[in-house]
Amino acid sequence: MTAPGEGAPDVLVSARGLEVHFPIRSGGALRRTTGALRAVDGVDLDVYRGETLGLVGESGCGKSTLGNALLRLVPPTGGTVTFDGLDVTGMGRRQLRELRRRAGMVFQDPFASLDPRRTVAQTVSEPLEVHGLHPGRQARVARVRELLELVGLDPAVAARYPHEFSGGQRQRVGIARALAGEPDFLVCDEAIASLDVSVQAQVLNLLRRLQRQLGLTLLFISHDLSAVRHVSDRIAVMYLGRVVEVGPAAAVAAAPQMPYTRALLSAVPLPHPELERSRQRIVLRGDVPSPSRVPSGCRFRTRCPDVFEPCPDVDPALQPVGSAPGHVAACHLHGVVGTPVDGSGSTPAASGPPGATASGVRGTG
Amino acid sequence: MTQLPTPGATPAAPPPAEPLPTAAPVRPRWRETLGLLARNPTAAVSAVVLVLIVLVAVFDETLAPDGPNEQDPSLQLQPPSWAHPFGTDEFGRDVFSRVILGAATSLRVGFLSVAFALVVGTLIGLLAGFYGTWVDDVLMRLMDVLFAFPAVLLAIAIVAIRGAGPANAILAIGIVYVPIFARVTRASVLGVREEVYVRASRSVGASDWRLITRHVLPNAAPPIIVQTSVSLAFAVLAEAALSFLGLGPRRPDPSWGLMLADGRGFIEQAWWYAVFPGLAIVVTVLCFNLLGDGLRDVLDPRQRTLMAGSGR
Ligand SMILES: Nc1ncnc2c1ncn2[C@@H]1O[C@H](COP(=O)(O)OP(=O)(O)OP(=O)(O)O)[C@@H](O)[C@H]1O
Ligand code: SF4
Ligand SMILES: [Mg+2]
Repeated sequence: MTAPGEGAPDVLVSARGLEVHFPIRSGGALRRTTGALRAVDGVDLDVYRGETLGLVGESGCGKSTLGNALLRLVPPTGGTVTFDGLDVTGMGRRQLRELRRRAGMVFQDPFASLDPRRTVAQTVSEPLEVHGLHPGRQARVARVRELLELVGLDPAVAARYPHEFSGGQRQRVGIARALAGEPDFLVCDEAIASLDVSVQAQVLNLLRRLQRQLGLTLLFISHDLSAVRHVSDRIAVMYLGRVVEVGPAAAVAAAPQMPYTRALLSAVPLPHPELERSRQRIVLRGDVPSPSRVPSGCRFRTRCPDVFEPCPDVDPALQPVGSAPGHVAACHLHGVVGTPVDGSGSTPAASGPPGATASGVRGTG
Repeated sequence: MTQLPTPGATPAAPPPAEPLPTAAPVRPRWRETLGLLARNPTAAVSAVVLVLIVLVAVFDETLAPDGPNEQDPSLQLQPPSWAHPFGTDEFGRDVFSRVILGAATSLRVGFLSVAFALVVGTLIGLLAGFYGTWVDDVLMRLMDVLFAFPAVLLAIAIVAIRGAGPANAILAIGIVYVPIFARVTRASVLGVREEVYVRASRSVGASDWRLITRHVLPNAAPPIIVQTSVSLAFAVLAEAALSFLGLGPRRPDPSWGLMLADGRGFIEQAWWYAVFPGLAIVVTVLCFNLLGDGLRDVLDPRQRTLMAGSGR
């Protein structure tokens, strides 16, 4: 997947065919591997320098695992990741440490992500110590003050323990820690999901301000498309371990090109009551299949309202869709492109789906 | 590379809208723990008694009225009196002095053996729990083998091989407790290892060594501390048992276990001879156990939340 159009975009992080399969082991003493849980299963994704990329999908579809795999916090079992042109999967100790400085993570639960036995200062200065930044106690203390101010905390709280803070304040501490190494890239894994609604907006605004101020590249993970579309430049939609649609936020939100994205969007309440009344809900049939038993061909076919002949037989590849440049989706409604299940070559003869593109794809618009 | 602005250049960070913590005193965690412990009367009394016993052991020579082997043949098996509060033994030695002097022996063996088990066992448990996989398998199978031996039998076997004496008693008791510390530590580490804050530290580049020493061990420590206290109780008991069996310190060195063994023969004529060293053992063992229970209550995270209202 590459974004077509004017000038190649500046790619900071890139995944190709990325896989994270967790072994499923039998309970016995022998612990034989009896199968694989395909948490991330062939993801192609580029994150452009300086952008906010929203990554959305239902719970359990592999968003966190993908975010972790991009930073090699979980080891990929297949495919490649590059960070600023460097091969992440093959990095040695020193390179990996530098990656950890340049790429940070903000975690979902601020009550779990801070060590209860370490003060705010100890937590925030850990990256400084690890990477030998701002050497000397005085310099580190000054730097910690600076970071706390940057995230809107009173530097006087440095000596306090996490249990003295509210969720929003803890999340600010977590953000300060993630920023301490002056990273280029930040993965925010449901970073506001567990906060009080009133606090969510504040932390969200903080992240947006920091991104502008520091020129950060953000991967913003959320299960809630409506939360993501206003903060993201582009949106990537994930289903059952695969990125199935990527495009400019406005295009994906206004003209989703993949039935799953349309279903996700149709679940989002519209702000205007009249619009809300006319909103058509696409209720998906059935449950999400288990990531240990991914359906053949298109993995969405068991729930897709538009499923047709090639869907069980050909695993759809991302292809340019819609009118916006850089908008891609993996769906045969736009032409049957992908890997046949029987394993022979790729890209079978394109057979236009029965009257799809024009009528079927324009959704809630 | 992004360059963070200095505070002066920061375009006025928006004021934090949530109230910041009020000026509550910043207390280190261990002071908090001590405070909670003080509110648990049983544990507090036990701790005080143990401190006294340790002080007695440290200043034994100053405190004991007589030397360990000062004999007065005219005063054999005298009942307790003002001159000899715990009476005298069959050689006319002052039992009070010997109980005081025996404290050092018992506690030294107890502390050193538990220290050995604590260091070795905790290290093994840390490595097994943190790294998992084959490291875990190998180390813990080894511990299982060690644990499968009945404790006293194992200690006796070690002493039988290496000969009697305090040093070997320490080694024997220490080895017996290694698997217990290894198991307790491993179980605790398995829980802490999965904590998000450990992953968070890894995500900023912390090395395994740093993760283990700064995050995993401190957070996995409470059950280990409790186990230490409980093990001290058993170690004092084990030292007494080994001495009683003639496998620990040797006569005429003062030792509670030895005195118990020797006094047993005179229990009908001179109950004080066996009872006072026995009491010393019971009180010490009981206090270590009660302190362990108190620590368990205080260090248990849920209990802590209940009592101090602080998260986690
Ligand atoms: N360490 C692991 N071992 C085994 N399975 C795992 C592991 N981590 C995640 N999984 C599984 O991988 C799948 C994807 O999990 P992941 O946490 O990435 O999903 P998610 O999209 O982030 O979900 P959520 O919105 O609930 O956070 C799930 O089925 C999960 O159970
Ligand atoms: S490929 Fe087929 S099953 Fe998959 S989303 Fe498109 S229409 Fe639905
Ligand atoms: Mg997740």
